[in-house]
Amino acid sequence: MTGVRKRRVWAAAALAAACLLAGGCRAVEGAGTAQDATDSGGPITVWVDPPRVPAVNAFQKAFPHIPVEVNTINGNVGSTELQQKFVLFNQAGKGWPDAIFFPSNDDIAWATSSKINYARDLGVDLAEILAGYPASVIDQCRIDERFRCLRNDAAPDVFWYDQVLLDEWGYDPPTTWEEYEALSLRIAAEHPGHLTGFLGDAYAPDRYLWSSGCPTNDASSEKHVRIALSDERCVRVQQLLDRLLTAGALSPTGIFSPDAAALGRRLVMSPGAVWWGNFLFRDTWKVPPGRITAGKPLRWSTDATPMTGSEGGGLWGFSRHIKGTQLDNVLTFARFVAADPRWQVDLSVGLPGYKPLQKPWLAKQKQARYLADFDRAAEAFVFATTIVRPDRDYTRYNTGTVWTHTITPALTSDKPFAAAWRQFGERLTQEARSFGYTVQSS
Amino acid sequence: MTAREQLATRPRIQPRRAAAPPAPPPRRRPNHAAAVLVTPYVLLLLVGGIIPVGYAVVKSLQNESETGFGGLSSYARVTADFRFVETFTNVALVLCVWLPVMLTTVVILALLIDASSRRFGATMRFVYYLPGSLAGIANFMLWLFLLNPGQSPVDFLWDGFGYTSLNEVAQPDNLPFILAAMLFFQGAGTWIIVLCGGLNGIPDELLEAARVDGATARAVVWHVKLPMLRPWLGYMTLLNLAYGFQLFLEPQVLSQVTHGLISPQWTPNQLSFTYAYQILDTPAAAAMSVILLLVTLSLGLLVIHRSRLFQDER
Repeated sequence: MTGVRKRRVWAAAALAAACLLAGGCRAVEGAGTAQDATDSGGPITVWVDPPRVPAVNAFQKAFPHIPVEVNTINGNVGSTELQQKFVLFNQAGKGWPDAIFFPSNDDIAWATSSKINYARDLGVDLAEILAGYPASVIDQCRIDERFRCLRNDAAPDVFWYDQVLLDEWGYDPPTTWEEYEALSLRIAAEHPGHLTGFLGDAYAPDRYLWSSGCPTNDASSEKHVRIALSDERCVRVQQLLDRLLTAGALSPTGIFSPDAAALGRRLVMSPGAVWWGNFLFRDTWKVPPGRITAGKPLRWSTDATPMTGSEGGGLWGFSRHIKGTQLDNVLTFARFVAADPRWQVDLSVGLPGYKPLQKPWLAKQKQARYLADFDRAAEAFVFATTIVRPDRDYTRYNTGTVWTHTITPALTSDKPFAAAWRQFGERLTQEARSFGYTVQSS
Repeated sequence: MTAREQLATRPRIQPRRAAAPPAPPPRRRPNHAAAVLVTPYVLLLLVGGIIPVGYAVVKSLQNESETGFGGLSSYARVTADFRFVETFTNVALVLCVWLPVMLTTVVILALLIDASSRRFGATMRFVYYLPGSLAGIANFMLWLFLLNPGQSPVDFLWDGFGYTSLNEVAQPDNLPFILAAMLFFQGAGTWIIVLCGGLNGIPDELLEAARVDGATARAVVWHVKLPMLRPWLGYMTLLNLAYGFQLFLEPQVLSQVTHGLISPQWTPNQLSFTYAYQILDTPAAAAMSVILLLVTLSLGLLVIHRSRLFQDER
């Protein structure tokens, strides 16, 4: 070996060692088409949960020349088996679906993590579609300044109430959180047995904490997050919930719990997502038509502008591991599921995230004559899609799951809310750290 | 010679010893037959046991990015996890409730069957076996009905505790008891049959000798049958301990059906699963598996030693 060669070898070895020390120099591929991308020549594979199967059927009807293989996946929010499959696909270098409906919104965090890096950047290919979303609806898909997913439906929180009951009792629907608290306390005292909220499900932190601006998921990068439960915006909502729980106005049950069916019919008012109307009040709790309606999201009287949270609202992701005709077909599929009325208006149960389709969807809903004051509710829905609070990201840790195994059991067994809240904060921080986040707590 | 003396002096598994010829015939070639018999087991052991354990040990010594040697760093990460001690405490709680109940109940029921008339004993043995005949997930589904007030045939029990919903029954504080009950009904029937086999293996002349010596039924149980059952009880403790530490399915599915009321990292195995497939830290998941293996192995060795499980073979 010559001296020059020797030096080169040493330099290479030193570089390799430096790379190892610095945490690995694996080429960061970015979010575009992967280097290992392949082209099937046309056929595409899509993975959807059972409620999204009609979307694929409608696509096949609309584009019969594109062969589609459908795989129905477990739609349970918070299930972990999906991520496990993607880990194995990455190891095998094949097997990824070309398009997927993520059962949990947090899934987008691992699907765009540097380790799995599945979801492609849609910023260029689907620019015209992305432009059709209200900024606050697509904000959670903008990860590191790239658009890595599409919203299926918008799920901002509005304020639901039983118009018949409130009229009968002579109450005006509240418009601020402070009024909501005052009226809840009154209802708990004057009409015991009636409820003004549910606290035991994984969406409860979205409903209450996100709306208030409490930083639980404020991620500035893949490795850095702000969780500050001592923030004033957390304290105000914690104290409000504590007072309502003490008065017996809130139920420790979750909205999806089988026990909630009976309780749901005694729910007088509550903040809740747009989909609550059809999915919960009408189909699950069987509240008769003409009672329920929705107003604009509650606002904190001290906040300058009204802001709201969001519960779910599905996300579509598309593979980085394809190119050519296969990619073209997948993009056709993406345009269809996000912005084609044959799915979004005719079949989808949620308010379309894509703004141009919101009006036709609402017109169709109006014909169903379920809500009491449809025009008021429709106005609230559209307004709410524009004021979803930013700075709340989908993260590798699931805030809802931490909530359901700290707050929910404590409330179920009558333990004090303040202690449960403390435990929720501690576990949330610890959980974020276990996923490798550096947590800023102030 | 009293029964106790006879017991103390006789070899444990007499029939096997008695059946063995005094000396092997000089030209017999038993090694081939033994090899043929053992090979499938050894192959399975390699594929399903030794190679995965070796792989886990190697993997656990890698660094977090899996690019090189990481020493014991993955062990440090996993033991520093805020759920590490908690998961072992949870399993220990289940075992503390489950094992004593399981051992005493199974022994008592097996002794009762042994003491019953042939037909009644056989019927009861079958009845006890029934709850365990539903395997895995089918058994779990049955339990969901049992645990759900309103649907449950033991609703009076939940009423007594003041529980009106599944979430109240299945709250984390109750989980050790619920899991212990699940494991008990799943396994008790099988172990009753195993112990009945053990009791049947006690030579009649030994029991006869005890009775001739004037031993009461209770004394026969205490001084003859129970000591003879000791290796079987050791075997049962050993397998159940291992099973208890590997708990995964029951808390995992219970967490899903209660919409997250139970932490998804309730047992060590679940924590390992989380490291592998959520945190995506395979070395830490491997380290957790190795730790679990070491704990189970040491407890197993302790049980083998205390119950003199393999004393006969020595």
